[in-house]
Amino acid sequence: MKVRVFALNATLAVVGVIIVLPFFWMILSAFKSNAEIVGFEQSFWPREWTLQNFISIQTKLDFFRLFGNSVFLSVTITALSVYTSLVGGFVFAKYRFRGRGVLFAVILSTMMVTWAVVIIPRYTMFREIGLTDSYASIIIPAVISAFGIFMMRQSMDAVPDEILEAARIDGASEWFIFHRIVAPMSVNAISALSIFIFLWVWEDYLWPYLMISSEEKQVLAVGLTTFNGQYSTDYGGLFAATSLAIVPVMIVYVIFQRRFIAGAASAALKG
Amino acid sequence: MSIHTSTKQAASSSAPAASASGPRRIRKPASELWLRNITVGTVMVSIVALLLIPIGIALVGSFHDWNPLNGTFDFTGIDNYVELFADATFWRASANTLVFGILAIVGRVVLGLAIAYALFSKLSRWRTFFRTIFYLPTVMPLVAVAFLWKLMYNPQFGAINTLFGLDINWLFDPRYSLLAIVIMTIWKDFGFAVILFLAGLYAIPEDVLEAASVDGANAWRTFWHIILPLLRPMLFFVVITSMIGYLQAFVQVLVMTNGGPGTSTQLISFMIYDQAFVKYDFGYASAIAFVLLVATAVLTAASWRMNQSAIDTPRRRRATKRSEKRPS
Repeated sequence: MKVRVFALNATLAVVGVIIVLPFFWMILSAFKSNAEIVGFEQSFWPREWTLQNFISIQTKLDFFRLFGNSVFLSVTITALSVYTSLVGGFVFAKYRFRGRGVLFAVILSTMMVTWAVVIIPRYTMFREIGLTDSYASIIIPAVISAFGIFMMRQSMDAVPDEILEAARIDGASEWFIFHRIVAPMSVNAISALSIFIFLWVWEDYLWPYLMISSEEKQVLAVGLTTFNGQYSTDYGGLFAATSLAIVPVMIVYVIFQRRFIAGAASAALKG
Repeated sequence: MSIHTSTKQAASSSAPAASASGPRRIRKPASELWLRNITVGTVMVSIVALLLIPIGIALVGSFHDWNPLNGTFDFTGIDNYVELFADATFWRASANTLVFGILAIVGRVVLGLAIAYALFSKLSRWRTFFRTIFYLPTVMPLVAVAFLWKLMYNPQFGAINTLFGLDINWLFDPRYSLLAIVIMTIWKDFGFAVILFLAGLYAIPEDVLEAASVDGANAWRTFWHIILPLLRPMLFFVVITSMIGYLQAFVQVLVMTNGGPGTSTQLISFMIYDQAFVKYDFGYASAIAFVLLVATAVLTAASWRMNQSAIDTPRRRRATKRSEKRPS
């Protein structure tokens, strides 16, 4: 048994090292000069540690502004769409009404519609309405999440109807039942969905790239591409910016990770 | 639990007396109707405004010569589709998308499942630590990951050639360019599969696994005959979501190869982006997009059916097992 434990952990460690190698390589490279990053003599540790990349990212692009924009958008969209998913999930899990099955199937099938199909019409529509270059253009399409509603309904299905009936008989309003009874019972699913949505918004590239034209309103994922010049890429600056860009997602992951796995289960297991 | 049933009994016995209108169901409160109508209404409006209308516009647009820059919107019938099916790049992109999708899904599922199972077994001590390690790539923005790997694939000073002693021009050799993008994609994405499979594994009742070990099944047999069938819904979920996701993979191509060399890394989604937002041929791009939508729907429906027909047997087997157990 001892040998097997060792073998398994050793294998996991080796795979783990291979997986994180690019990650740490990037972070260490953020402390190298550009000459060293693209030099022929490669080394894992920086031969000469420099903070220049971090110091100069603010001058190359308005890093903190873009960072702030991304944080604002990600937090806003995550909060809004987790809430609407909760309400949607609650209604579809706990209310019986005509057309519920059909409607839910429609919501599910919208998950199949790829961005590639709707992005051209959406782009023209948003331009017609005059919503370009506004945060509204980023927030509006993301507020209702089919995946979120689906996930929340799966999770709320597990809440026994008797609890709701009992609360109703005791005179609780629907809002009270939703906010104080059912929503707190979905905390696992909320955690998982928060991680997913935050990450999706944080790394979303194409839609903000198309919608936002003024530099100071742009998001970080798009801003990262400015390190890619026409003739050469400023890898040092890119890696420094990326290293910092990971921080918020890591924070969100750490906050919610304890309930993450149980929440992710509710997305798929009772389908 | 007993509290709830007793409240319910008490209430149901007192309710008719209180209302005095004879036995009837408790009327749905106005707030329930209000909440339901608002929710359903909002969802419907957003589906219509953000999906159905755009799909309609895409369909109509695909029959037009449509250029937003000079305001062209001329009806051309099925010209775009005729042109599309004669376009070698489109067929190459379709084949690439298929190869890319299959390799990336297989890689993600196999790697994700293997690691999840290793973490799940009671043998591993640093589970939380490893779980976070394997999830790390997933939290990196895709744009950044693509740049990072572009550098690692560099034939002169890239980490991959240096580390493995290879001499491959990964991104500029059409034999390897698509594979290079697949490897990067698997690296970025498999952590999510690990989490989902772990969730699926934790949901397996412990007594099922105990029974297997009492019966003397080894780890391998347990995995194939008990765990894999029970993991089927999760497996299906991962495959379907990966499929839908990889049919629209795009950023990695944009950053790393821009579709080249030649057409070796053209993917359907990249082609749509390229035709629409680089060449401003919205009509042609819409035609491609519509073909992609139909293909996605067909593939999803096919997987669904395959899953449904395959699910019958294990479920029945499990059901009979359960009924055998009950008497004891």
